[in-house]
Amino acid sequence: MQPGEVLGLVGPNGAGKTTTLRAISGIIPPSSGSIRIAGFDLARRPLEAKRALAFIPDEPHLFEYLTVEEHLRFVGRLYHVPDAPERIGPLLGELELMDKRGALPAELSRGMKQKLAIACGLIHDPKAVFFDEPLTGLDPVGIRRMKETIRRRAQLGSAVILSSHLLHMVEEVCTRVLIIQHGRLVALGTIEEIISDRPELAGLPLEEVFLALTGNTETPQG
Amino acid sequence: MIRVLGYLVFRTIKNRLHRQAIKLKNPRYALALILGFAYLWFLLVQPNLATNRGASLSYEWLAMLGALALAGMVAWGWVFGRDKAVLIYTPAEVHYLFPAPITRRQLVGYKLVRSQLVILLNVALWVVLFGTGTRGLPWYARAAALWTLFSTVHLHRIGASFVRTSLARHGWAGAKRRVVSLTIIVLTLTAVAWGMLDALPDIHRAFQTGLSAVFQTMGDVLYRPVPTVVLIPFRLVIDPVAAATVREWALAMAPAIAILLLHLIWVVRSDAAFEEASAEASLERARTIEAIQRGAMPVADRSRPASAPIFRLAPTGWAGGAIIWKNIVAVGRARRLWRIVLTTLLFAAVFMAVVGHKRESWAGLVSGLLAGWAGVLLVFGPLWVRNDLRSDLEYADLLRAYPVGGATVVSAEAASSALVLTAAQIGLLLLALAASLGATVSGIDDAAKLAFFAGALVVLPAVNLLGMLIQNGIALLFPAWVTLGPRRPSGVEALGQTMLATPPFLLALAVALTPPVAVGYAAALYLSPTLGLVAYGAGTVLFLLGVGLEAFLLSEWLGGAYDRLDPSATELAGSR
Repeated sequence: MQPGEVLGLVGPNGAGKTTTLRAISGIIPPSSGSIRIAGFDLARRPLEAKRALAFIPDEPHLFEYLTVEEHLRFVGRLYHVPDAPERIGPLLGELELMDKRGALPAELSRGMKQKLAIACGLIHDPKAVFFDEPLTGLDPVGIRRMKETIRRRAQLGSAVILSSHLLHMVEEVCTRVLIIQHGRLVALGTIEEIISDRPELAGLPLEEVFLALTGNTETPQG
Repeated sequence: MIRVLGYLVFRTIKNRLHRQAIKLKNPRYALALILGFAYLWFLLVQPNLATNRGASLSYEWLAMLGALALAGMVAWGWVFGRDKAVLIYTPAEVHYLFPAPITRRQLVGYKLVRSQLVILLNVALWVVLFGTGTRGLPWYARAAALWTLFSTVHLHRIGASFVRTSLARHGWAGAKRRVVSLTIIVLTLTAVAWGMLDALPDIHRAFQTGLSAVFQTMGDVLYRPVPTVVLIPFRLVIDPVAAATVREWALAMAPAIAILLLHLIWVVRSDAAFEEASAEASLERARTIEAIQRGAMPVADRSRPASAPIFRLAPTGWAGGAIIWKNIVAVGRARRLWRIVLTTLLFAAVFMAVVGHKRESWAGLVSGLLAGWAGVLLVFGPLWVRNDLRSDLEYADLLRAYPVGGATVVSAEAASSALVLTAAQIGLLLLALAASLGATVSGIDDAAKLAFFAGALVVLPAVNLLGMLIQNGIALLFPAWVTLGPRRPSGVEALGQTMLATPPFLLALAVALTPPVAVGYAAALYLSPTLGLVAYGAGTVLFLLGVGLEAFLLSEWLGGAYDRLDPSATELAGSR
């Protein structure tokens, strides 16, 4: 992965998308192979590697008794961000949480919680950002803003990996696609590159390409 | 419908036990199970505790004191209980059961059946721990009596939580609707306090004699007219447990069962409050959806703003400091804790004002009770204070993604709880000191009291830190077997679990404390002929260094376990 790239991780249910993201975030060890984040081996130098990454799960995990602003202060300290207090305002502004900076998680809607989890992931300006199903539970406005956030992170030089079932979103946002099934790589590259390996798929939408590559040729019923 | 809910309960238990049994393939869990069985076997072959220690005390008095303790617990629950209903449904239960064609009564009944698991487990533990005592009551009769007692207490807590939830939601309007029950509580508490006030000098005199004299006097006091009448309902629930013969037991069981049934009716009929709560929750949900559809953010903030943290977190520094800060902020924002602290201070102030003119004679009693409670916290505090990994392992995924080493996480989490517990103990000791300064209590003068307090300031943090490291270590090494999250089974019905868990914990703590205590004490003895009192200071320093070294080694070892932790194990424990 290069800075500025957005990789879409797609695959059927149970393919191992979340497991992959958890492994490259240092939450679980990989069964084999090695992971390097910003040049640091995740197994040998986990702290340095983790300082360069952010993992944003599909279900926001927030601490019951910390306010929005305190979450950011807390995470800033964990990641050793000396100017965290100065970063909090702009970040909350970008994610439209400014008027909720003193609110506890119980006072936030699902979408706001998701935004707070994203803000916590971005406070240390990570070089790699991993989103697990980033559009889960968001309304249309939230979906549009989330896509903007992902693009902006990439423009600022972060490498972004996101997992999603929403193929049109992957097609729209990602520069490359990684299709996995049963924990194994099925295809990797831009959509054009993937199709160039399978000429019979030329001209098909990504959904059809995905179904063909994962061996699921069922056509939707009714 | 009952069958389908029964199916849910049965399959859940079966699958959970199966998942936990699978863990036995891990040698660590297998070893723990063997040790657990050995411990239970040791308890079973021992002559039971009641046989050894209960014989010298009158069962009648014990029953009366038990009734008083039960009354105290019930009052505590009403005054300090949680504002949220005790019957908490999991998200899956809300998702599938609430919209299903199931009556609210069936939902309440389903939860009550599920809660029987904890009650039956604790009944079994009580029977194992205390057997039938010297009174010859068959074990099944004792078990039935305990089951009735625990079930009644549990139902009472649920009923009280419904009332409290209703009060919290409706404020004064709710209070007016509950005026009868609130009046009964206030009158009951006032009557007991009034009845016992003039007996305090007798209790105080008994304190000069010894503990059994205190029990004896308190038992006598409880037979005065007002306490006797007030405690009748509690006696009716306690009496089957204290029965000597099967005949006594059978006679006592009838009213106890009647009270149990009354509680059951109360809770099941409380579904009016339950319906209200659900309706309000639905309304809030509808408002949220409507706000989102309008493109506006929902107005969810109707509560008070969060209080300012006790101290500000610097943006840089030791990462563990952030974890400690987070946990202490969480404790500071738990309103229930502040209610307890403020009410305790209020009671203490009122009491001291009432007995102020006889301060000298009461100093011993008040300071003894406060210091005694600090001692209780030393033993049980590490089980009760859980603002550490036992709460945070629910967020294992999140924690593991942070760039913080395992040893840092473990030491900071344990230190958080140790700090809170130490603050509580020091606060109690400070109050005890303030209550007794200027008065010589049991031959202890002010200089000795100050020396004891200074010693406590040094020793308590060290002991608490080791205790918390042990508790956190258990959660970390056996996450699939430990109840994670801020709440654990509580109340008298879960007391058996606490009793079972306490001796092994104390043993582990004693083992951990032995080397530093031995080194410190030996150094003090060796140096005292030459250095005098300074030698004890040197001994204390060595003791603290020893504890520090042990804490460091434990943190490093447990930190390794944290780094290797499989978060899915905590998901299992978290899914209650």
